[in-house]
Amino acid sequence: MTANMEAHKVARFDDEETSFARRSLLLGGFQLLLGGVILGRLQYLQLSQSEAYTTLAEANRVKISPIIAPRGRIIDRYGQWLAENDRTLSLSIVREQVPDLPATLRELQRVLGWSDEKLARVRNAILRQPRFRETLIAKDLSWEDFAKVNLELPFLAGVEPKLGEKRVYNHPQAVAHIVGYVGPKTRRDIEEFGNLVANTVGQTGIERDYENQLRGEAGVRHLEVNANGRTVRELSAEGGEAGEDVRLTIDADLQAVATKRLGQRSGSVVVMDVRTGGIMCMVSAPSFDPNQFASGIDMKSWRQMLMHERKPLLNKAVQGLYAPGSTFKMIVALAALEAGIIDLKTKVNCKGDYEYGNEKYHCWLEEGHGDIDLEGALAGSCDVYFYDLALKIGIDKIEEMAARFGLGMQTGLDLSGEKTGTVPGRDWKRARYNTGWRGGETVITGIGQGFLLATPLQLTVMTAALANKGVLVRPRLLAGQDEAVERTALGLDAKNMAIIESALYRAVNRPEGTAYSSSLLIKNQRMSGKTGTVQVRRISTEERETGVIANKDLDWRLRDHALFVGYAPHKNPRYAISVVIEHGGGGAQVAAPIARDVMVHLLENEPAAASAPPVNADIGEIL
Amino acid sequence: MNSGFLGGPSNRAGLITFDVHWPLVLGVLTLGLAGVLLLYSVAGGDLSPWAWRHGVRLAAGLVLMLAIAALDTRTIFALAYIAYAAILVMLIGVEFFGDKSMGARRWLDLGVMRVQPSEFMRFALILGLARFYQSIHQADVSRPINLLAPFAMIALPSLLILRQPDLGTSIMLAATGASVVFLAGVNWRYFAAGTVAVLTAIPLVWQNMLNYQKERVLVFLNPERDPLGAGYHIIQSKIGVGSGGLWGKGLVEGTQSRLDFLPEKHTDFIFTIFAEELGFMGSLMLILIFAFVLFALFQISRQVKNQFSRLVIASTGVSLSFYIVVNLAMVMGFAPVVGVPLPFVSYGGTSLLTFMAAIGVVLSLERNALVEMSRG
Repeated sequence: MTANMEAHKVARFDDEETSFARRSLLLGGFQLLLGGVILGRLQYLQLSQSEAYTTLAEANRVKISPIIAPRGRIIDRYGQWLAENDRTLSLSIVREQVPDLPATLRELQRVLGWSDEKLARVRNAILRQPRFRETLIAKDLSWEDFAKVNLELPFLAGVEPKLGEKRVYNHPQAVAHIVGYVGPKTRRDIEEFGNLVANTVGQTGIERDYENQLRGEAGVRHLEVNANGRTVRELSAEGGEAGEDVRLTIDADLQAVATKRLGQRSGSVVVMDVRTGGIMCMVSAPSFDPNQFASGIDMKSWRQMLMHERKPLLNKAVQGLYAPGSTFKMIVALAALEAGIIDLKTKVNCKGDYEYGNEKYHCWLEEGHGDIDLEGALAGSCDVYFYDLALKIGIDKIEEMAARFGLGMQTGLDLSGEKTGTVPGRDWKRARYNTGWRGGETVITGIGQGFLLATPLQLTVMTAALANKGVLVRPRLLAGQDEAVERTALGLDAKNMAIIESALYRAVNRPEGTAYSSSLLIKNQRMSGKTGTVQVRRISTEERETGVIANKDLDWRLRDHALFVGYAPHKNPRYAISVVIEHGGGGAQVAAPIARDVMVHLLENEPAAASAPPVNADIGEIL
Repeated sequence: MNSGFLGGPSNRAGLITFDVHWPLVLGVLTLGLAGVLLLYSVAGGDLSPWAWRHGVRLAAGLVLMLAIAALDTRTIFALAYIAYAAILVMLIGVEFFGDKSMGARRWLDLGVMRVQPSEFMRFALILGLARFYQSIHQADVSRPINLLAPFAMIALPSLLILRQPDLGTSIMLAATGASVVFLAGVNWRYFAAGTVAVLTAIPLVWQNMLNYQKERVLVFLNPERDPLGAGYHIIQSKIGVGSGGLWGKGLVEGTQSRLDFLPEKHTDFIFTIFAEELGFMGSLMLILIFAFVLFALFQISRQVKNQFSRLVIASTGVSLSFYIVVNLAMVMGFAPVVGVPLPFVSYGGTSLLTFMAAIGVVLSLERNALVEMSRG
């Protein structure tokens, strides 16, 4: 019994032990199975898929950001900067990283003193962007505001202060048309230059034409960022290449003087170094401020400029087309002299008008110049003499001579946008109007009117060729390439050139000259030149009888264009100038004085080296 | 008596020859020190704020563990219900006086320290249930009347924890309790029936839930539904583990960790750092040490001579393995994100001390392996 009970007890204990053993083995096996699954998973993640996850980890932590190369400067011939980069302070925000947007914006409003409208504008701008995208909320901050925001930064999660670069322009109004401006990258820019890293691209002028040179090459920066997107450290930086400077032949001070002198007038002043072709001054007025464009101009101001009667956005020096008027008379005279049709003694009697066909053509001097020879006619700008002369030589010879002096074609300036102008002739008229050339058209071409159109730059180049005694020099804006000056000898008789030279001297420096009141004398140097006054309306016979209405009594748009071309010094000329004032009135009264003042500044301030006699014998003998 | 490679059972009663199962102690300490090393690395190569405190707690835990190991099996047996009841009272206390942290009421301020009673409960439940089964005859374990008490002992704390709310710990607790019942030898048909009941109840409960509740459960089951919240962390954790490769990036060099891509990297996600910085080889080592500890517990459980000890030791092993597997599965994107620490390694005082106290109890029971206790 006891044994039996013992046995029973043992059996029960064995039962308990074996039951536990079985079940604990079962659970142990289950644990082993789970352990195997865990190890399998570990092997899958760390060995099989390791590469993929390593890539993901790198993508997580490394942010590649471009280093935008500093854009090259644009400087004038003496190294004075015209376009440069300035630091700009701005703020941007990423909505995703802002815990409480209204609170953050209220804080910014408090710190920066925003108006409620500004706050609403900023909020709308942020809400328009996707959550993860960066929104620019304030630009061109002052140092003071920037510092204030930086101080509050711990309470402004998601707001990022940024240091950037912006383009700034010196003498902005004076150089706007040459230097141009940069603006936000457009689809057209990407098509032309490829996918650029920089946000701004040159839009006009030198900024556009020399974009590739100015831009430089962007570098790449590898940044380590944390989960919040904040940069922890820089891993590597491959610096790009800074943009190259572009040096212009422009003299910024001269440019400023000319701009100031033009004032509210609409027109242009172009000064060219006759030996090298370097453009020292090229001003178009009215102008605009390229800084406004660089920081993003508003639509309204832009439209206003675009629609403005005096076309501030147009570079009138290369894109404005004007009848050259009397400044063309040298070409007509040279055509006749070269053809041997006239000589110095040939005289014409000017009674104040000239009849041809059924038309009466008037001289500017109502009472007439009387008996006048070539030099007198050029100096006094007698129209009748040139009506007669034009008919004597015919349009073909005039057309040929004008073309030799570069009219009717681009001068080849290293700035895009140049207009060609028009030198009319029989073929031209046939092609353009499908009609024959008429004698009356030859008559008015003789005084530089009619179909004839030229840019102020073309007139300057033409004048420079006269100053060079018949050597045409290609104009240019980029400095530092003196060895590459492009000269074309026009093969004109030196005697004939001397006649023109003498006449142009008289026109400015003798009492009978039209520009006598604008003569100058600096270091024994004088200026030679020729005025031009171009009618832009037809004066009726009735008006002639009652007296021609004075320019000042006319609508601005109906007033005459005032022109002057010239060069200085009168011996060994170095600078050619053209001044065109749209609807300015008389060339002698309006254009010549401006030319004189610009030339005075130039001669008074020129470096000593520039006044040395020419080294190049090509240019000819000193008169 | 035949001894296993971990040393055979002994009857080293009394404090005079104080000898414990040192391999188990060593294994646990190695895991704790691995935690110190990783916490040092997580802090960017700094002992503060986590590593040194983890070390101090480890030392305190060691003292506690050995102190408990010095106790007699009968003392532990006598304390089992008291411990369970005390922790249950604390859980109820949390319900009324608990501190709220991150939306859940889990902490209880005891004046000297803040504790998470839910962490303690996991081991107190094992003690309570084991004592219950020691007190009834083996032949009676499957009698329906004897199912009521264990069910209540498991359900009560589980529901209290569920209310905190802490679904993860609640399920883990229930699973731990179920494993004790299973090891005790309760007829497997009850388990089959229970499984079927749960499976059939799910659709019914689902039908009666509100939309936002359903959404919560869906996010819980599939974190990718919420890619900016929990899903983001799982993805980043997988990237961390995967990018570790064979040898890892080296201590302090883990980019996922250093750059804050990982959540809770010092607590629940510490294994991610381990895998990222020490690679497959390091992770394998850690898992092998865990396996060593679990195997030691398994072997000891089969050598002790009373049901109470058996159940306590084996269930401790099972519970530990649940924690390890769920934690590892979670950080490797295998299981939903539930707040489950990696035993001994994760930073966290309550968790560490509970696990070490549990091992202390195991050591004590192992010292008295040959003690037989009658049942009924």
